[in-house]
Amino acid sequence: MRKGECSASGHLEEKTKVIEQKEGQLNAFLHLDFEGARKKAGEIDEKIRKKKKLGKLAGLVIAIKDNICVEGMPCTAASKMLENYVAPYNATVVEKILQEDGIIIGKTNLDEFACGSDCTKSAFKISRNPVDTERVTGGSSGGSAVAVASGMADLALGSDTGGSIRCPASFCGVVGFKPTYGLVSRYGLLDLAMSFDQIGPFSKDTYGAALLMEVISGEDPRDSVTKGTKDRDYTRLLDKTKKKLKIGIAKEFFEGCDKEVEKVVKEIIEKLGERHEILEVPLPISRYSVPIYFLNVFAEFSSAMQKYDGLKYGAFWEELNLVDAVSEVRDRTLGKEVKRRILLGTYITMKEFKDAWYTKTLKARDLMRKEFDNAFKKVDLLASPTNPSLPWKIGEKNEDPVQMYLADTLTTTANICGIPAGVVKAAFCGKLPVGVQFMGRIGEDEKVLAAMKSVEELAGRDMDDEHNNRS
Amino acid sequence: MMNTIIGLEQHVQLKTNAKLFCECPTEGYLEAEPNTLVCPVCVSHPGSKPYGVNEEAVRNAVKISLALGCKVVTEKPILVQRKHYFYPDLPSNYQRTSKPIAKDGMLSGVRIREVHLEEDPGRYDLRTGKVDYNRSGIPLVEIITEPDIKSPEHARKFLDELQAIMNYLNVAREEAGSTRIDANVSIGGHNRVEVKNINSFKGVLTALTYEAMRQKNLIKNNIEIIQETRHFDEGQGTTIGLRLKETAADYRYFPDPDVPPITISEKKVKEIKKEIPELPAEKAKRFVRDYTVSETDAFVITQEKEFADGFEKIAHKIQPRLAARFMRGVLKKQLNYRGLKLSNSGLNEKKIIELLELVEKKRITPKVAEKLLVLMLDEQKPLKKLPLYEELVGIEKEGIVEEAVEKVLKEYEKAVKDFKKGEEKALHFLIGKVMHLTKGKAHPEIIHKHLKKRLKAG
Repeated sequence: MRKGECSASGHLEEKTKVIEQKEGQLNAFLHLDFEGARKKAGEIDEKIRKKKKLGKLAGLVIAIKDNICVEGMPCTAASKMLENYVAPYNATVVEKILQEDGIIIGKTNLDEFACGSDCTKSAFKISRNPVDTERVTGGSSGGSAVAVASGMADLALGSDTGGSIRCPASFCGVVGFKPTYGLVSRYGLLDLAMSFDQIGPFSKDTYGAALLMEVISGEDPRDSVTKGTKDRDYTRLLDKTKKKLKIGIAKEFFEGCDKEVEKVVKEIIEKLGERHEILEVPLPISRYSVPIYFLNVFAEFSSAMQKYDGLKYGAFWEELNLVDAVSEVRDRTLGKEVKRRILLGTYITMKEFKDAWYTKTLKARDLMRKEFDNAFKKVDLLASPTNPSLPWKIGEKNEDPVQMYLADTLTTTANICGIPAGVVKAAFCGKLPVGVQFMGRIGEDEKVLAAMKSVEELAGRDMDDEHNNRS
Repeated sequence: MMNTIIGLEQHVQLKTNAKLFCECPTEGYLEAEPNTLVCPVCVSHPGSKPYGVNEEAVRNAVKISLALGCKVVTEKPILVQRKHYFYPDLPSNYQRTSKPIAKDGMLSGVRIREVHLEEDPGRYDLRTGKVDYNRSGIPLVEIITEPDIKSPEHARKFLDELQAIMNYLNVAREEAGSTRIDANVSIGGHNRVEVKNINSFKGVLTALTYEAMRQKNLIKNNIEIIQETRHFDEGQGTTIGLRLKETAADYRYFPDPDVPPITISEKKVKEIKKEIPELPAEKAKRFVRDYTVSETDAFVITQEKEFADGFEKIAHKIQPRLAARFMRGVLKKQLNYRGLKLSNSGLNEKKIIELLELVEKKRITPKVAEKLLVLMLDEQKPLKKLPLYEELVGIEKEGIVEEAVEKVLKEYEKAVKDFKKGEEKALHFLIGKVMHLTKGKAHPEIIHKHLKKRLKAG
């Protein structure tokens, strides 16, 4: 760009064309802002002409999950409750992206309030997997994964509470990264479960994820859980990190896993053995990740959703009686899965049931953290499949919520423990991509990124060749 | 047995520059246009997060706790919890409230159970259905007593002392509505009733007196007292049952994942302790000891720090007991009547000393001093510029008293004779006549002095 070989506006127009071509079929976006994007691209080109310093993301087209606030754009969380809500402020991550000359193209689809694992629980549209449009994208950040996978955006932001970045990254065959809890400010991210939520990047390759991480991470006075976080150059650390890492695998990770998924993930881990040391570690408590995760999430979610009463913003119900107005607006605008979680969360935090459920689940969470701490005394990283199965057909898991919850069994652990975890395409099963997941110690996000890059280096090329031959 | 038992919960707004969880200013929130001192955090916009607990608020709460003789919790982090309930003034529909930051204090013979830090909700106007979030997020301390208060009067005394402490520490807001009180009242072991919505110190006596009387009447008539929450109706001076459902509210408390726990080190406590000035009770004791003023005078004078400091300056120039009596009785009354404090009354120590010196030298009576004080306050003129001053004090210079004495001596010869025979009463009669003649402007002692001189001479 500096050399004048291409311009921000030119690049944006290319992306715009892709969007015009593909969006109709894929449903990645809930809101597009071509006008705003063109204005920003113009500003960047102006900077180039005037030889001003350019930001790290100069000219890159970035899509933002629609549960992250961008000032002046709708922020619906894919819910009727917020259908008419326009964010009055920028999330910290959005501010940082704009400062580094990123171009925000629009807001992407998700499961309502990020409650779901396949992006079919949006109140507005169902996103479709670009690899096979009959299949789900994974979720909840499905729209962001699709935008990057289909080339409609260079980079995207998602949020990950129990796998919401990694699951769609794996299903759509892109890179997805969930940072250490507290590394990236959540200011401007709509709550799902406050002690689990993290914002993270989607990209075509690990470098892109590292670059976006470099921009969005760091301490923010407006999110006190980021206190003490240092700014780090993840792109530089990608190459500087120790070449040989100790990578652990647990047999529990493969229990209940589809055979084909198990096969390709084990193959890639074996390949990693050429460069890194692979060790077996026992992680028996990780089997309980789903109940531990969901009970905690229900409790926090029920609290977070209290604010949506239809009185201040979003949907509004004209009723003379205040109690009826609040009840009606919540009843009519929230989806089934959201209501299910609010009710269960309320139930398990009520005086009579708190000790039997919520208090216990907090203890279980502690036990699991300890188990992972111990494992990380022996290994730098843990490797696992991302999901136990391949992307399912749209509508397939709609009836039984427990089946849907179980899809999160391998991704929720990282959020329970607050550790960093990233997903990179390992191989294809047929034409469907499968992502391998790495988890690392708290604050050692760069090691996770380095392992992901290893996969790209070791397997990436053959895989692409193989895929190209097949298709 | 009909013993009254009362426990109080006070919510007092803290004086801080910013709100508890964001940087919105707090100053002038009452006068500001509704919803102008707000941000995404204190209106709980989707995606907003609390900034972490305002350090200044923690400091202020610790200071208050220490002044109440509480032990501050330093041994473990103090969790900030969410208390869930739906109400339009509460933008998140939960209120953030800390676990106790201090425990086990004592004031006015009442044990303080614990002190919490929490956020104030907005203001919901039931009539218009509108909410003003300017107040939302202003820090509050909640002070909870044990049920040690034995009568409404005792409650009033406790609150007077509490208010005095708050005044000395200067860390709490003092404007109307900055303090709200809930009271638990039970009599003779019967069911306990919670009275809410007492929004002033003054209201407490009315509310509690009414509630205690209501309960006593029920007991006398063998009617069972229902355990309930009642609202204080300030206009009527009564309490009203809310007829809530039987089930107790379940606030589903749990630690707020967005707010790191508050930690208070021993070092910080020591540091804050050093900033605490001599408190009203100690000061009152010292005044009794050092200035031999009465306990009642000392108590009243020490209720406000600037007033007590003013007294001390004045007491170095004027007989302390005279100064105390005047300041407690006359000055306080006249200031309160005008809703003024010493600092904004236009008066200062020097002006009061000037006035009291006249009393001390017997040139004017305390009654006259009050008259002059009223004029000083109302006309905002220096003492010597007041026409009345000239008239009252000037009376001596111009020989007006002497003149009047001569006149009276001539007119009432019988009384003069009686006095000379040894009848003291006759002298009083003569003084009275001179006073009448000088229209009460001359000091009786001065008249007495002149009369004696003349009578001896004659």
